[in-house]
Amino acid sequence: MSGRKKPWEKIARQSGLLLVGLFVLLPIWGLVYLAFEGGTIGWPSTFRLWPEVPTPRVFSQVWAQASQSLPFLALLKNSLFVSGGAALSSVGLGASMAYAFARYRFPGRQQGLFALLVGALLPPVASMTPLYVLLTILELRTTLLGLTIVYTAFAMPFCVWNMRSAFQAVPKDLEEAAFLDGASALEAFWRISLPIAMPSIAVAALIAFLIAYSEFAMGWLFVEKSADVTLAMAVSGALGISTFSGSLLSALAILMSLPVVLLFLLLQRYLLDRLMFASVGNE
Amino acid sequence: MALKDKAIRLRIDRFEKGSNYSSLKPSRALLFILSVIVVTAVAFGLRLRAVDRLPIDYDEDDYLGAAQRYALAIKSGDMRGIIEYEFNYEHPPLTKLVYGLSILGQPDAPLIPERLPTAPPASDLPRPHFEYARLTSAILGSLEVFSLALLNPLSALLLGIHTWQIKYTSQIMLEPLPALTSLLVVLCYHRARQNEKRAALWLALSALALGITAASKYVYAIVGVVILVDWLWEQFCPRRENHAKRSLPAWGQIIAWGLLAVAVFWAFDPRLWIDPLIRLRESLFFHGGYARSEQVVRAGFPAWQQLVWLAGPVPWHPGVFLATLDLYILLFAIVGFKRLWRRYRVFALWLAITGLFLLIWPTKWPQYLLTITAPLCLSAAEGVRSAIFEPLRRKARVVSGEFFPRNSWRELRRAWLWLLPGAVVLMLIAFYPMIYQAAMALTDFNTISIRDGIAGGVWREVWRGATGQAEPLDVNMWEYFDRFRRPTSTDVHYIGWRLIASLFSGGLPDLLVFDILWTALSVTIQAGLGVAVAMLLHPEGVRLKRFWRTVFILPWAIPEFVGALIWRRLLEPEKGWLAVIENSPFDALLAKFWHDPDTTLLLLLVAATWYGFPFIMLAATAGLKLIPGEVYEAAAIDGASRWMQFRHVTWPLLWPLLMPAVLIRAIFAFNQFYLFYAMQTNFPTLTFATLSYYVFSPTFGGQFAISAAINLFTVVVLVILIWWFNRISRAAEGVTYVG
Repeated sequence: MSGRKKPWEKIARQSGLLLVGLFVLLPIWGLVYLAFEGGTIGWPSTFRLWPEVPTPRVFSQVWAQASQSLPFLALLKNSLFVSGGAALSSVGLGASMAYAFARYRFPGRQQGLFALLVGALLPPVASMTPLYVLLTILELRTTLLGLTIVYTAFAMPFCVWNMRSAFQAVPKDLEEAAFLDGASALEAFWRISLPIAMPSIAVAALIAFLIAYSEFAMGWLFVEKSADVTLAMAVSGALGISTFSGSLLSALAILMSLPVVLLFLLLQRYLLDRLMFASVGNE
Repeated sequence: MALKDKAIRLRIDRFEKGSNYSSLKPSRALLFILSVIVVTAVAFGLRLRAVDRLPIDYDEDDYLGAAQRYALAIKSGDMRGIIEYEFNYEHPPLTKLVYGLSILGQPDAPLIPERLPTAPPASDLPRPHFEYARLTSAILGSLEVFSLALLNPLSALLLGIHTWQIKYTSQIMLEPLPALTSLLVVLCYHRARQNEKRAALWLALSALALGITAASKYVYAIVGVVILVDWLWEQFCPRRENHAKRSLPAWGQIIAWGLLAVAVFWAFDPRLWIDPLIRLRESLFFHGGYARSEQVVRAGFPAWQQLVWLAGPVPWHPGVFLATLDLYILLFAIVGFKRLWRRYRVFALWLAITGLFLLIWPTKWPQYLLTITAPLCLSAAEGVRSAIFEPLRRKARVVSGEFFPRNSWRELRRAWLWLLPGAVVLMLIAFYPMIYQAAMALTDFNTISIRDGIAGGVWREVWRGATGQAEPLDVNMWEYFDRFRRPTSTDVHYIGWRLIASLFSGGLPDLLVFDILWTALSVTIQAGLGVAVAMLLHPEGVRLKRFWRTVFILPWAIPEFVGALIWRRLLEPEKGWLAVIENSPFDALLAKFWHDPDTTLLLLLVAATWYGFPFIMLAATAGLKLIPGEVYEAAAIDGASRWMQFRHVTWPLLWPLLMPAVLIRAIFAFNQFYLFYAMQTNFPTLTFATLSYYVFSPTFGGQFAISAAINLFTVVVLVILIWWFNRISRAAEGVTYVG
């Protein structure tokens, strides 16, 4: 396919990509500009392509003190605990369920799938009050573990739903071949279905992670100690204070998105390629 | 299973094809006649009730005044008086003449003064005239229901209970006559297409009705365009199946049809008997000017306002309408549209073309809805059939046979251990909250009573209510929005179903329509861009592939809230970056954009697309990799063009893989929160937000019961939409596998 490419086609393709790239980068450039512009109060009122005197000062300020007295890393730790926990628990607890929905035709399967979908439909803020009550009873409400449970509640139906389609895409004859070789159901799941479905499972986990990573409305409702604030909460909190600074907010947002970008780079390198490998292996 | 479905559908189709009323068995014919009579009677009864109870509305005095003067002119044989009557010249005289005829035999009453169209409603109108004119309106409205009942009684029932339809066919409005005749135009044409023998006669009747329609109110004549489109469609892309059975008018016939309609129009519009072209011109041009007039602009309605009207019952007259199912008629109409297209294409075109017109036309008064209610109700009836009747029938068959395949219980034995951990956790943290929501919506739980509610007050009250120990508290929860009517009790109270009922009968139509529209538009744009980018990046040997992919993923890595905030910084009027560029046109442009609801939606969509498309792009990238290269080679051998390759190879194979991602994005879009949090709009009469944001917004202030009810409503609407989406997309999948 690649040999027949004409030069004008390459140019058209790259300019199309450039156009979308500009659209994507426009606000990100704004973010970077703000962060390096160096912390006056409020938003800057003039327009420049590049700050007069670029300075990383705000970054070091945020690094040392992202929210009240907490350094950035402490907040990152909270965020990673909450979102990583939510992602792992919703994938871990949901995987076997998704597998059952994909493989077995038990009575009530349709209804169960439907219920799952309904569970996935509720907006996060919707189950606020009930979960508030539930976690108060369990005496977990103000802890980070409680917040993790809340985020798991939103993410899990989604993850199960997605993983189910991933398991369904795994050809059944591969497992049947394993059964012929004397493997148990658990072994077939562990050795065959799980590895093949892994990329999609990782994507599901990523979605769960991102939901939790960027959520703050629920966070403010549940968290009470300032030591338990997450990054997303810090970003939203930075808007409300009287010494609000656009630069500070941007620097914080940039620092906050760096771990996600890293995660993406990892996923892109390993998962998209593996996904292709898996599919080629099937044929 | 699929085969069984198909067999059933085939039988149903056969049954329905046979249900043409001229070829029915006697018992069925009796049932049919009975249902026509009942439906018409119900419609007439509801209209009589409305005639009696509705207050005098805008414009009723104008039309009745004109009717009085026409009646006087007819009595004294003053032809010239009719031709030269100038007042309200923007609307052709026929409907007003009919009202005039209806009060002809009545004793004289004082003439109603001619006032400006912007004048407030009259406080009182001369009595016998007022009642007779309204009665005429109700009779015409019931005749319309009767005509539709001849085609399809269920849809006529829906038309009969549609509250907007009742309102405007009970008051002295211009709508009843053209609404009736425009339906006759399409019905006669439909008949002409089915009945080869008397096709010419039916076509002539259709032309007659079209002329009368145009002479009653111009906008209803759009059905003429609809028929032309249907005819052209059939002319150039005929359907293969059943084609032999259907008769298509020839070119000459359709031209004669048009000429006859014009002639009838002229004959029924006495004002045009003198200087027809000049007078028609000034009458028509009035509307172009009016659409741009201050009265219309100040109303500040968004383009989709007509949908908002349709998504809820008439909000102004509590107690007049007995059934308020308008929202469901709209939803079922969406569901049934595909079937409508298959079975009554001309009605589907009517719905689509007129709907498009209403979307574009700047004047958004709700009476224009009557141009569309008839096909809407027919579509809704088809929707009810395909969504309720047929599944029920199918289920009845399955139950009578074998509900579960024989070894399914064995499957459960193998599956339960796998299901257990997930099921337990989900029960506790996802489904229990949902049930709790339902309980909350039955109470008046709010910030003041939070302590009691959390300590179990909600369950206590629901239990007391369910067991009859507590009478439902008589409160209007919506009044709690009013600062001064906030509740003061620190206890939770049972309030019964009233909150849920008010919401489910279309209590928040503007939000609901905005939310659905928002979801549809933003997901479509995101999917389009995402797939396009994935395809640009897909071929081997694209330079900088990895770089671009990383760039495009970036928006997803930035929290939605921050992204929206930055977009606001860019797009804000006056202070935004684009606005402060010196001598740039953006400042004025942005200010203008943020003032208009339609362009505001566009700006919000820009931000939403930015954030949402990477996800679809990823899914599409993964999907494209799964499509084996051989299919393209086969297509290339067949000489398929690029577009055909995409249309017939890539898209059908990609769609099933993309669907979960699209569904996820759709759910996120429906519940989008942070975007609206960061980009708050400021329209006095409009709320630009999803239901989810509205629940949380500051205006709302801790009314937990109301938010719970809205959440329940959200889930139900989403379930319906997803079920429908699933159905149409699965149908598409089926097509690819057959081919």
